[in-house]
Amino acid sequence: MRIGMKAAAAVMALATGMGAGAALAKDITVALVPKVAVPFFDDCNTGGAEAAKQMGVNYQWVVPANTQGATQVKIIEDLMARHVDGIGISVNEPKSVEGIIKQATAAGIKVVTFDSDSANSSRSMYIGTINKQAGVTMGNTMAKALGGKGEVAIVTGQLGASNLNERIDGVKEALAQYPDIKLVATEGTEDDLARAVSVTEALLRGNPNLSGIFGISQVGGPAVAKVLAQQEFSDMKGKIKVFAFDDLPDTIKGVKEGFIDGIMVQRPITMGKLAVEHLVAQIKGEETDPQNVDTGVTVVTADNLDSYTK
Amino acid sequence: MRVLQQLLQLRQMREFNVLIALVLMGVLISLFTPYFLTVSNLMGVSRAFSLTAIMSIGMVMVIITGGIDLSVGSAMGLAGLITALCFDAGFSQYVAVAAGLGVGLAFGLTNGLLITAIGLPPFIATLGTLSIGRGMMYMITHGVPLTPDTPESFSVLGQGYVGPVPVPVVILLVLTLVFTIVMTRTRFGRHVYATGGNENAASLSGVKVQRVKLAVYVLSSTISALAGVIAFSRYLSAEPASGFGSELEVIAAAAIGGASLAGGIGSVLGAVIGAALIGEIANGVVLLNINTYAQQAITGGVILIAVSLDVLRNRMGGRG
Repeated sequence: MRIGMKAAAAVMALATGMGAGAALAKDITVALVPKVAVPFFDDCNTGGAEAAKQMGVNYQWVVPANTQGATQVKIIEDLMARHVDGIGISVNEPKSVEGIIKQATAAGIKVVTFDSDSANSSRSMYIGTINKQAGVTMGNTMAKALGGKGEVAIVTGQLGASNLNERIDGVKEALAQYPDIKLVATEGTEDDLARAVSVTEALLRGNPNLSGIFGISQVGGPAVAKVLAQQEFSDMKGKIKVFAFDDLPDTIKGVKEGFIDGIMVQRPITMGKLAVEHLVAQIKGEETDPQNVDTGVTVVTADNLDSYTK
Repeated sequence: MRVLQQLLQLRQMREFNVLIALVLMGVLISLFTPYFLTVSNLMGVSRAFSLTAIMSIGMVMVIITGGIDLSVGSAMGLAGLITALCFDAGFSQYVAVAAGLGVGLAFGLTNGLLITAIGLPPFIATLGTLSIGRGMMYMITHGVPLTPDTPESFSVLGQGYVGPVPVPVVILLVLTLVFTIVMTRTRFGRHVYATGGNENAASLSGVKVQRVKLAVYVLSSTISALAGVIAFSRYLSAEPASGFGSELEVIAAAAIGGASLAGGIGSVLGAVIGAALIGEIANGVVLLNINTYAQQAITGGVILIAVSLDVLRNRMGGRG
């Protein structure tokens, strides 16, 4: 039994040794695991597949059937059994994958997180939007559009969502440098379009001097655009500056029709591409001290609506 | 003299107390902001609460039979989504609206049969369909809103006006009138009250209790589906989470309006005014720039105070 264990350890050492030395691209296999099947991740897949093709490595895209933490754990187990060399994952539940990521990295598999992090796991790096930074970009863009003065309001989604609260922190940090910009209200909408519309209506009626609205979650853009399209608020179009998050069809339509001045768009294609590139570099031993990467946001306006890249 | 008598009669009505709460709340909000008592705000508020109010009409009938319908939000959301899917597939608006209402019918029949034929408690049966409906919405949308092209004439339902009054509010008024008559002037209405008051006694005196129950669940789901079609017409976007959680507000509206969750007591008008009170408070907390984190707690507190005053007033008036 003892000898068997030793033999197994030797084989494992040999295997990992070979893994580290696998310089030939065609022997390398990397897998990306999204949270769930939504268009955002289709873009990640596009970026990942392209990068893998360019680098000549094998590439797998493994979509979980649901958002439970256990499902992603099972997928990583399967990928370990199939001896992939690198795994990039957008984490559904940061805590639940910590254990399995530890096992994977101990077995010599390179692991990075993209889009959604598990900060306390043993993954080598995180690649994605740093939400606070995105909020700072949004706040500065608004301040510039307002010429540094005016009353503004925030329309957010669920009050407890950490990514949204990080964006709000960023917005506030940016606005702190503009003493003539006053944040008069912050309203939650539970990410419900109907609620967001009635909250925005009341916001506009209760604050007639309002000159800017931040749509922090993805319902913000469509909701504000729909409200401003109504007869009652027709004189506010153009006068009130609106910045929103995420390029949903209705938000893009709002930009085209002049109700929304700009959208902060995340870069899922870049996330997928960088995940594969960094994994391959780590597998080849070319990257030894990986640092987190903020993929940032593109500010999409009427000018670059047809040409922006993700 | 006659007018005075009628006014006194009005005072006897349970709805009258909720109406007083509604008016007092309006006065209170107006004291602090000049933007509440404007035609555009009042019409906006009415349109905002009209969907909850429409759904509460169906809910109050279910509650009067002693039941509960937790699936109204799912029926609403799924109906809007199916309507959107029909537009997406190129069907005419009539087919799309009919399909949406059909979803409601299917929901109602499922709920009704689970409750009457199998004998599941209404809470469990409608909790199950609530969950199935939500799941189907996620399966269909994959979490992304569906925004098909729709003809101009369809958007009238949710976005149009009759004079200064938004169309959804007109629909609400019509439904309120129709179902008030149904509940107070028809045999079906009396049977609904009898079923909830004392099911055995009702059954013994010839009321077809099971059939009455089936009917109220079908009505509740179909009315909710109508609200879903109107919501889709208003926003022209079928949201993956549309209607989620709305059951609580709808049930609250019926209860604030005087319906007893034990059955037998309640009225359509009361439920509608209850929905108006909730909508008025939701509008007020934003107009007054009350901290968003405190809004929910304040809304709950105000509702409890309003209903407690109603109950106390009734008790002092010698009625229960």
